[in-house]
Amino acid sequence: MRGYLIQRAVISVLILWIIASANFVIFQVVSPITPISGIVDPSFSPEMKEALMDLYGLMEPLHIRYIKYIRNLFTWNFGFSFQTMASVAEEMSWRLPSTILLLGSAMVATILVGIPIGILAASRRGSKIDVFAIGSGLLTWGVPVFFIQLLFMLFFSYYAYMAWGFKIFPSSSLYSTPPPTAPLAYMADIAWHLAMPVMTLVIGGFGSWALYTRNVMLESLTQDYVVTARAKGLSERTVLYRHAFRSTLPPVVTMIALGVPGIISGAMITEWIFSLPGIGRWYLNALLAADYPVVQAVLFIYAVLMILANLIADLLYGVLDPRIRVGARR
Amino acid sequence: MASIFSKEKRIIYARRITGFWDEFKRKRIGLVGVSVLIFFVALAIFAPWLTPYDPVAKKRVADDFAMPEWMTIFPAYKDLPTTIEHSLYWDMEQGLEFIHSWGKVVTVKYKARTTDTITVELSTTFSYSEIPPRSFYFMFEWKAEDVVSTEYSVRIRLYTPEGENQTMYLMWQLPRTQQDKGAHVDVESVEPFFRDMLGFGMEENPAPVMFSRKGEYTLLLRMQFKPLSASASCGVELKNARFVIPGRVHGVLGCDDTGADLFSQLIYGTRISLLIGILCAIAGASIGILVGVITGYFGGIIDEVMMRLVDILLCLPFLPLLLTLVFLYGKSIFYIVVFIAIFGWQGLARMIRSQVLSLRETSFIECARAVGASRFYIIMRHIVPNVLPVAFASLILSVPGAILFEAALSFLGFGDPRVPTWGKMLHHAYGFGAFTRLAWWWIIPPGLCITTLCLAFVFMGHSLDEVVNPRLRRRR
Repeated sequence: MRGYLIQRAVISVLILWIIASANFVIFQVVSPITPISGIVDPSFSPEMKEALMDLYGLMEPLHIRYIKYIRNLFTWNFGFSFQTMASVAEEMSWRLPSTILLLGSAMVATILVGIPIGILAASRRGSKIDVFAIGSGLLTWGVPVFFIQLLFMLFFSYYAYMAWGFKIFPSSSLYSTPPPTAPLAYMADIAWHLAMPVMTLVIGGFGSWALYTRNVMLESLTQDYVVTARAKGLSERTVLYRHAFRSTLPPVVTMIALGVPGIISGAMITEWIFSLPGIGRWYLNALLAADYPVVQAVLFIYAVLMILANLIADLLYGVLDPRIRVGARR
Repeated sequence: MASIFSKEKRIIYARRITGFWDEFKRKRIGLVGVSVLIFFVALAIFAPWLTPYDPVAKKRVADDFAMPEWMTIFPAYKDLPTTIEHSLYWDMEQGLEFIHSWGKVVTVKYKARTTDTITVELSTTFSYSEIPPRSFYFMFEWKAEDVVSTEYSVRIRLYTPEGENQTMYLMWQLPRTQQDKGAHVDVESVEPFFRDMLGFGMEENPAPVMFSRKGEYTLLLRMQFKPLSASASCGVELKNARFVIPGRVHGVLGCDDTGADLFSQLIYGTRISLLIGILCAIAGASIGILVGVITGYFGGIIDEVMMRLVDILLCLPFLPLLLTLVFLYGKSIFYIVVFIAIFGWQGLARMIRSQVLSLRETSFIECARAVGASRFYIIMRHIVPNVLPVAFASLILSVPGAILFEAALSFLGFGDPRVPTWGKMLHHAYGFGAFTRLAWWWIIPPGLCITTLCLAFVFMGHSLDEVVNPRLRRRR
């Protein structure tokens, strides 16, 4: 178990390093646009440009810049935003929680909706719920989540406002202005603002979980140990949850880790549509303004989130799969 | 190597295809997918015949946020008019020898023969019987050459049913010598200078007041030439004089915030979505098959390195990266296709690899190896044909992903600015007030089209997968 964990951790750090390096290469070596083009005016004199290049440490040789860059990333030092001249790390510290709140609640809600539907579908093959699971799984492949979100916004915010004079769910931001001061009211306010983004992310994403869980469950329901459990006279419920579902957990956990990039992409568009103050929206605005320190920092954070999710999945996999838990090499 | 076009081969391929089609025919949703796809392909091919408007130029054809024309069947919208357009013509009967007219073009040409004032009048009389409009506009083009000591003016007047008249446009051109000049005059009733000229206040809208009554309106464009000396000469061409009251309803799908036709944007968007979806899928599948076959068949260090690369690529934040790359290298269809393909081959490569791994151990490959077939021959003649059906199914299944990616890129404003796409329609709808104006005809159709086209591919791919994938067939 320990050997397995160390191996996974080393691979994670390696991947992180590769992504950080790719980031460096994309922006500072092969990029057709220089990193400071966002702040340079065509009217600047060459001396001015050189002074700016020097200020941002771009006159040093490439390998020194690379070493500094990597050192800065891993010490949480992302430099200063070109747009606001404020510390990127500082702004990150208040934007990141809102993104993690959105990502976390969307993921948990999607899994809580998707997996039970998948289990039910597998246990009642050919029933209506099975058709529903397959259908929603196929729909997930073809329906753009941002379209669902635009529809929700149109009907629950704008049409509701026209018809009744108030929005059932707010169409933008994470808080009311001004935010309520009582802690409970504050949390309720955030929940109300997050309801539509999370709901739409769940609707757009639960189908693939349901379908995947169903397929894995079907495989496991034909195994000998399930037949044995049934022959022992265990209740259907015990068979389903303790014997069949238990063995589907490792592949499902792997799927969750593999689904993180998709959820991050979805959350980014969600933040854009609903004007949530997260890092996805920040990233898009920074990209459009060629604000490279922010862009690089957010890409790095996304990679860290991704790797953390993979690492957690690996940990859980180790706990859930007895073949790994008892120490056998994979 | 026997040609693949020999007679026996042809029979074998024909039989395979019919067998495959017989199997596919039984999948109902697969057939639905195929018919939807055929429908969209037809839209893409016949786009120029289906709509007369250019989706990129975005010419104004009706009022801002004009509703679809068929909305008039609902009682709440039944009074909304379509666009009214009148061309101004020159009345032949008042003819003078200097004035010539061909259709919408009127030319005036003279040289030192007269000192009288010459008047050209273009007019149109129409009966207006709709509700008062929100705006109107008129336009004409004129071009002058060889003007010597001539003073000329243009004046546009509107005669209301009561016989009142109002000057809507006035231009004086002082004497000029040998100077070519011309202009494209385009006056909208919502412009401030127009409001000022007619004496309306800051908050007032002239259009509904001027057309408040139903009845006969006459619009008169009068151009006057005043030769100032005996040597005066002049050549003026006046054309395309039009008066337009933009409609509150228009076409199949109404208009956007600039009054441009939305249906044409939607129809032409089909082309880009299909093109990008299919190109990305083919490019991605080619990389996937290549990598899968090579890693699966050769194994060893290549396999190890490529599979690690796949692992890394699978845990990259692909949408942010894609946006960055597109931003850095240029928003063009070519780069979008290339970058989406780069991020879209890993799953297929893994699948093909596992297939090749098991194929490699089968006896017919072993036989081929035993009789001394080269690796290249075995791969091209035995391995690739065996993985192609599965690869084809997943190629079809990867099309919706590419279409959705392109739509997301365009929606976020990173699409190719030169082509009309569904994602871009949604981008503009989101950015230019479709929500506050409740312009559902701008938001729902493009989204619905993306969804339908993607689902068509999903259904087709799903059915194909069931036909060609032996693992799924057994489970059925």
